[in-house]
Parts: sequence; C-alpha cells; structure tokens
Amino acid sequence: MPVDKFANMEEKLWILEDLNMMYIRQIALSLQDSDIQKKIDHEIRMRDGACKLLAACSQKDQALEAAKSLQTCSTRIMAYMSELQRMKEAQVMQKVTRRSSDAGPMDNRLPCKGKVAISDLRIPLMWKDTEYFKNKGELHRCAVFCLLQLGGEIFDTDMVIVDRTLTDICFDNTIVFNEASPGFELRVELYSCCSEDDYSAGSTPRKLASKLSSSLGRSAGKKFRAAMEPGPCSPVSNGGAAPLLLPVPSVPGPKYHLLAHTTLSLSHVQDSFRTHDLTISGNEECSYWLPLYGSMCSRLAAQPHCMTQQMMSGCLRVKQVGGDPQSWTKVYGALKGTSLFCYHRQEDVEANVEPAFTIAINKETRIRASEKDPQSKVQNICISNQYGGEEVTHTLTTDSRDDTHRWMEAFWQHFYDMSQWKQCCDDLMKIELPSPRKPAPATPKQGSLYHEMVIESSDDLSSTVSDILARRMQELELRSQLGTSPTWMSVFEENNPISAGRPRPCTSRLSGHSPCTPHRLPRSPVSPHRCPQLSLLSSDASLTSDSDSHCSTSPCSHRHGWPEPSSNFSLLSSSPSRLRPRTLSLDAKLSTLRGRGYGGGGTLQCPCQPPASSLLAPLPVSSRSPRSQRGAQTTLSCSSSTSSNSSGTSEGSHSPESSEGAPFSRPSPARRSLRNLRARLDPRNWLQSQV
Amino acid sequence: MSFVPGQPLTAVVQRIQIQKLRQGENLILGFSIGGGIDQDPGQNPFSDDKTDKGIYVTRITPGGPADAAGLRMGDKLMQVNGWDMTMVTHDQARKRLTKKNEDVVRLLVTRKSLEEAVKQSMGSFPRQ
Repeated sequence: MPVDKFANMEEKLWILEDLNMMYIRQIALSLQDSDIQKKIDHEIRMRDGACKLLAACSQKDQALEAAKSLQTCSTRIMAYMSELQRMKEAQVMQKVTRRSSDAGPMDNRLPCKGKVAISDLRIPLMWKDTEYFKNKGELHRCAVFCLLQLGGEIFDTDMVIVDRTLTDICFDNTIVFNEASPGFELRVELYSCCSEDDYSAGSTPRKLASKLSSSLGRSAGKKFRAAMEPGPCSPVSNGGAAPLLLPVPSVPGPKYHLLAHTTLSLSHVQDSFRTHDLTISGNEECSYWLPLYGSMCSRLAAQPHCMTQQMMSGCLRVKQVGGDPQSWTKVYGALKGTSLFCYHRQEDVEANVEPAFTIAINKETRIRASEKDPQSKVQNICISNQYGGEEVTHTLTTDSRDDTHRWMEAFWQHFYDMSQWKQCCDDLMKIELPSPRKPAPATPKQGSLYHEMVIESSDDLSSTVSDILARRMQELELRSQLGTSPTWMSVFEENNPISAGRPRPCTSRLSGHSPCTPHRLPRSPVSPHRCPQLSLLSSDASLTSDSDSHCSTSPCSHRHGWPEPSSNFSLLSSSPSRLRPRTLSLDAKLSTLRGRGYGGGGTLQCPCQPPASSLLAPLPVSSRSPRSQRGAQTTLSCSSSTSSNSSGTSEGSHSPESSEGAPFSRPSPARRSLRNLRARLDPRNWLQSQV
Repeated sequence: MSFVPGQPLTAVVQRIQIQKLRQGENLILGFSIGGGIDQDPGQNPFSDDKTDKGIYVTRITPGGPADAAGLRMGDKLMQVNGWDMTMVTHDQARKRLTKKNEDVVRLLVTRKSLEEAVKQSMGSFPRQ
C-alpha cells in the first residue's frame, strides 16, 4: 500500500516537537526557573495562532502581518531556548568551579543596568535611476520590517511596504529595552518579503512552476522561480545555522527572509543620529532583494540606572573645606546621576523642592576617606572637584562607621558604573516613548515628483478654464492701466459686471475667518477669442497680481527690518516684451491640477486675512521712485505663512504698506488658491514657512 | 559658512532639541524657515554667502518652543532628526519639521557666533 510519505514526516516532526518540549520543561525545572518556560509556551501558542491565521487569511496585508508575527515568534522561541541552554551551562559550570573550590576572591562588582532605546531607524535605498523614474511596469513591492534583539528581549517594528518610489525605508517606532548591561549587543535584522500578488502560493507544483516561468517574460520568470524555490539566496527563515530544536512549521504564504543585519553596542550610543554599516545577505536574484545603500541611520540612546535612579540616600553632615571647621550642615543626601543632591530635609526629595546645594560627582571627582576624626572616631569622606581652575573640597561625615562604609561603597559603585557606561554618563540622554495615538492615515501610493507638490485645494473649484483665462485677461488689462494713476487700487473695488462666478462664500477650510466679500475685478468686456492669444502674456501678469494679494502676516511686517531683498517683481509691465514667456502647457497643468482638487495638500494653507488692506500691499507705483533700472517696480517680498494643520495662526494683523490704499476686498477663494499656487511656484518669491 | 556644493562640509553645530507644542490639533514649533534649493538664495537676508541655498530660521515666535530651546533667528539648519537639511527644497524642509507623529525635533544648527566662539577658545589655548 502506498505509504503517505508526507503524513509520516509530519508525524515525526510532531513527535520531535513533543520531545523537545519535554526536554525544555526538564531543563526549566532543573533550573527552577519557570519564567522562561512560560515565555516559551506563550510564544509557541502565538506561533500556532499565527500559522492558523496565515493559512486562513485571504488578504495580502493580513498574510504579510501574520507571516511577520510568525517570524517574530520563531525568533523569540529560538532566543529563549538558547538562553535556557546558557543558563543550564552556567549552572553546570558553577558546580564545577565550586568543586574546584579555588575560585579566589572574585570581584563581584557588577555595573548597573540601564535602558537602551533605538529610534528613527532609516535605511536608505539606492535604486538605479532607470528604476526610479520608470513610470510603466508594475511596481515591484517588498514588505519589510526590523527585528531588534537585545539580551533576551526581541521586538519587531511595524511593517513597511517598499517600492521604487521610496528613497528610504523609515521605521517610526521607538524600541526601548529595559534591562541592558553596558556590554550589550543590540542586533538589528531587516527582513523582507516579496509582495507580488501572483507569487503568494508557496506550494505550486514544480512542473507548473517551471512551465509558468518559462512562459512568462525572462525577468518575471526569474523572480517567480526565485520565489518558488528556497534556493541559495534564502537561508532557512529562522535564522540560518542555529540547530533546530523546534522545527518551524512550514506554512503556505509569504515568507520573510533576512536581508541585512548589524550589531550595535555601547560605542555606538550617542545623543545624536549616527550612521552604521549594514551587512547585506542575499543578492539581486532573490525575490526579496532591495537595493540597499548599505547603511542604517538611527538614534541609539542609553539611560543607565545610575543616571535616572537614586543610587544611595541617607543623612549626612557636610562641611566645606576652608570654611568654619565647626560648621557642619545637616542634610539629606541623594546620589543620582552626576551629582550628590543635598536637601534640607528628607521630605524635600519627594516634594521636588530644590536641593540646598549640589556636589558634583563625575569622572573628574576625587573621593577619599580621610583619617579618623579624633573626636568622633568616624572616618570622613572628602569629595574634591575642580570648578574652573580651583579645587573645592567637601567633607562628609555620617553618624556611624557602617553608614560611612555604605556611602563609600555607593561612591565606588557609582564610579564603576560611570566607567562602564562611559559616554552615557556625561549627560542624561532623553528617551521619548511615543504617545499612543491613532496611526497616521496611510499615504496615498503616489510617488512622482508632481505628487510631491503641495497645492492647497479649494472646495469650490467650479470655474472653468475659460474663467481662468478671462480673469487673467482682466488682470492684464489692469496692468496696462497701472501706469496712469496712483489711485489704481480703487480700480480693484469696482464691481465686475462680467464676473463669471457667483458669490463665493468663504470655505470652512480657511479657518472660519470673517466671510469674504465677493470680489470682482473690474474689467472691460473681453471677447473670448482673445484669450488664447493673451494667455501667454497674461500668465505672468496674473502671477504677479496673485503674489501681490498673497502677502500676509508678520514675515511681511519684518520686511522693514530686512535689507532690501534684491529680487523685484515686475508689477508694472506695460510692455509685453518684458514679460517672461510661459509655455501654455504649464498653465494647462496648473488648471488641471486645480480642477482635480488636490486634497492632499491640506497642510499648507494661507489663512484668509480679514483686513482686506493687507492683501494688496504693493506700493502704488507712482508714489515710489523706481528701484532699479528695470523701470517702475516695487519691491515686494511675498511670504506664505503656513501652519501644520488647518488652523492658521495669524501672527497679528499685517499693516498695509500703502497708507492710501483703500480697503481692498478679498478675492474669491478659488482665485486665492490659484494665486497661492502661483506664488509658491514663482521662483522670484523667497518663500517662508511657519512651522 | 562658505561651502562648495558636492564637497564635504565641516561646521560647528549646536544641538537643539525642541519639544513641539500642542495647540488643539496642531503641533507647532514656533519659528519660520526660509530658503531651499528651489528658492532664490540671493534674497536670504541671513546668509553670508549669497549662493547658500540652505534652510535658515527667519523668525522666532517669542516664548514659543523654539525660543525656549535656544534657537535663534539667522540659524542655519543642518540636520533635522537625522535628515540632512543642506540640500533640500523648501517644501521638503517644512515637511521634515512638521511630521505629525513626531513630538520632538532634534536639530543641528550652525551660526556665525559658534564658529567665532570656537576660534576664540582655540586661540586662547594654543595646541602645543
């Protein structure tokens, strides 16, 4: 009868697993440490759950997440098992040494533990330029995450999907390890898994696989084949050469492979961002390959307990050398970080009252026990520091010899800790735990440079292209009238009989400022057929008018204090020859972009300023002498004042430059958004952003 | 603070850590920036070298988080949370500073007074 080989194999694996579990339990019992055993049990249960989920789920994202948990659980199990073995070995060794009984005085001093935190992990990618700018072809995506291991603790970061539109893989998580010793080794491993929809099945029969791969294109077929077979580029997914005590169950579904790794230690700890080298495994043929630049940028900070916790406290009497020999001050001393804080009373420590005084205890401090005080027969402790060029010594004494001994011991321990933790004890490094909040909404999968352009959207973009062109026409006409009268600003107020729009109420986006009065630019009747011709010329003019009206808030008010910005606007350009020719396509693109109503640019908005006069601040041409050889021009530095979210923090009302300017009613939001866009795109503006 | 584009740059920097202030829904830092590789460097009133396209602090809100952290008007931002600021567009710079999931920004800034201070201190303790 045909023996079902696979079933037999599975049975054998189960038996092995059971045996292993028994072995583990025995070890744990003998060590009298049930803690690790519980952890292993927990992880095994989690792993089983992840396997089941993986087998059951249909969605790609779920499968990737489940595979990630599977990987994490497997790694944790391995770590716990190796720790168990180590403990067992240590126990055996101890028995051996005790038997040999010639251990000698061991220096039992152990350095204090500390918190180690790694954050802002960033791994740059190095796509070939041909890859990066490819707009056709499917996006080859990989799901990546990092496993961070220190001591017995293993944490994973969130999963990030990487494709050729990303320049860096960024992990936002901050991982904190709580009980790290100074000789810690933080192992960072980057796992990746190809995330192509077609290649998820791991159990495609080989014949079919080879048929498919030969019928697909060459590169696609290569990838497919690589995804199918566990070839040389994908080491056993549980980490390579380590002997398998608990075999990883093979499940269909995405599998993560180790792409790169590095190990960080105390020498890499610094209170700033540093770059570390990565060791990359795998090569271009692998399905999970990503072109890594080869380094990793992160912030690795450490807070040894001696810097954050009170190492010793008690009552002391302090005397400063050089002072009155009889003036002992009774204080309650607390040793923490780089100082010995001396409080008047013990309660002050809890109450966060300022200490009476502080004695520095750092690497340059010298502490020694002085000769026995003839009166009290207790040794004094002398602490010397160099402040500037002089040496200042404090003498401490306690009530009993035991106390003195304990304080000395504490000081020695403190010095030892500082020598072990080295640069971490110079200053306290800050570790922030990110506050739990709603995860940021998934960014839309757009990567081209045009999508990077943030454009304020306005909700009533109902004007047609001809409207835009018509408006530009008006503005051009205005320009031609500018040279004539100083009261040109009043021109802006007249009602526009041919305004294409209806009253445009202020959008709520503009932060509920006082509603805009519908503004219509005056113009003479314009025949539409003139528009296309003049669009070339008018674009420039409308740009300047947009930028004029765009001026707002305090950066403008600072203008007075600045040296004259050199670039000027050609506000008055009556001669078309001076206008910069613009290609029609740019205008068309801008109009279509507006029409599409980009909502993604919500972070940038120009707050709608109620004082209407602030919007048109350019000085009337005739009241100022020409600034440069370019004819009558006004100096205008426009700034866009923006804030992170939609609340515009208006930094005070902008004082209008032109005193005779009659109040200028605000243009409609649609026009304003177009102007904002134009203002931001005009290279003659020197943009400022408020953050 | 002169530099040659494409060549490594050495500068004396100060580390400034700013805790963002929450105002309703927003996280604000309390300063304004100007500059960028897409901006006209000649208009920068704070730069010495008028070809410097770096990001400069143009205004500080008095009493705001940036002011409290020690940021000063005219500072040039070299790095924000590990990201380089010497070759970025204006918008990229703004984005790096206003990430919603970050509460703290760690800046590396440089200013003329720092360079002078270092020169002075080196002058008074000449290396043997």
